[in-house]
Amino acid sequence: MHAMRIARVLLLTFALAGCANLKEVRDYAGEAAKLSAYTELTTRFRDTYEREQPYLFGEAERLAQENDKKRKAAYADLLKIHQRVSLYMQTLARLAGEDTFDLTPEIGSLASGIKAYPDLGIEAKQVDAVANIAKVITKWITSSYQEHAVRSMIKEGDADLQATLEGMTALVRYYKKTNDNERKTVLGFFEVEIPYADAPKDRLLATLARAHVQAKTAEYKNAQLKYAAAEQGIKSIAEGHKRLLENIDKLSHAEVKSMIGKFAKDIKAMRENLQAVHG
Amino acid sequence: MALATQQQVEELADKITECADSIHARLIQAIKRKEIDQSAAQSIFQDEAILRQRANSLYLDATNCVVEGLAESQEEMLGLIDTAKEKIKTISKIAGLIDLIADLLVLAATAYAAKPGSILAALKEVKEDMVAL
Repeated sequence: MHAMRIARVLLLTFALAGCANLKEVRDYAGEAAKLSAYTELTTRFRDTYEREQPYLFGEAERLAQENDKKRKAAYADLLKIHQRVSLYMQTLARLAGEDTFDLTPEIGSLASGIKAYPDLGIEAKQVDAVANIAKVITKWITSSYQEHAVRSMIKEGDADLQATLEGMTALVRYYKKTNDNERKTVLGFFEVEIPYADAPKDRLLATLARAHVQAKTAEYKNAQLKYAAAEQGIKSIAEGHKRLLENIDKLSHAEVKSMIGKFAKDIKAMRENLQAVHG
Repeated sequence: MALATQQQVEELADKITECADSIHARLIQAIKRKEIDQSAAQSIFQDEAILRQRANSLYLDATNCVVEGLAESQEEMLGLIDTAKEKIKTISKIAGLIDLIADLLVLAATAYAAKPGSILAALKEVKEDMVAL
């Protein structure tokens, strides 16, 4: 192997390595948990009828049952939307992973395999030297392949991901508005009935009712926070991916310096190894 | 349903909800002023509840609209995910290939040293590597 040829390969892979800051991608993909509120709210949406049923009569209850059927029918598809986004982010994380494209363990065991057979007539230190050179070269080649793959995925995935997140935002809004009607039905019922339970004999009933209203009010306040959290989470994921896409072809000064530094270290290591091979 | 219609459905649902809110406010006012009896109040509240159910049914229609609208994007994303998995698999295959080379070398060395036991063991390793690829 000639030093010049190796240097040329490395220069080429450096040029192709492009600008995907893989750590940034890994960090982003790790934020998928921000979307978990959506799943919880989808389940809450499905169970609306169970919560409102005690307070419904006649025609209103009949309509509520129809709505219940439709919600249960849509439930699986609503969850799937979230599952796809999660899977996309998990796959992106793996693709950008530190170990996913690392072949140094395999090269290492190959070297050990060769060294275990002195009959082959290759000195241990020469085997190590060649293995180290191979490690550097494959590292740069697979690194370039990896960065290319990550950039592709982000570029091609953005439009569909943003459309999906937009859809999820609308869905959370419908969940919220449905919940608002549920809350007004439940709390409204007590608002209408309690005033008529003002006779002394109704005191126990009225008190029970008021205590129940307190509990329900707290429950709905709690749910309110979850809708806000879900909206925020979706927005944040959408903005994050937009940023990744914008920065994908830019290389910051710090990144260039770091790449050149690594490159210089690798060339030095290769020189030492080449000497050992020829030595 | 086109996107414009989805928005219209949501707007209609919002309007119906607002109607129910107005009825409720007026009803509570009437109850406070003792203008109506319990039976009449319950009847009006029932009407309000019916309106809210109708509004929720419209939100449901809009929900199904979103789900249908995303079907294509979902398919596209599945395609991307599969492509990425293939690329990750390719690198695994290369890793497997290097393992194969390692085992072939061991095979060659043991053949050279003419040790039948280790030759058989080495052959088995090679076969497993090829199956894995």
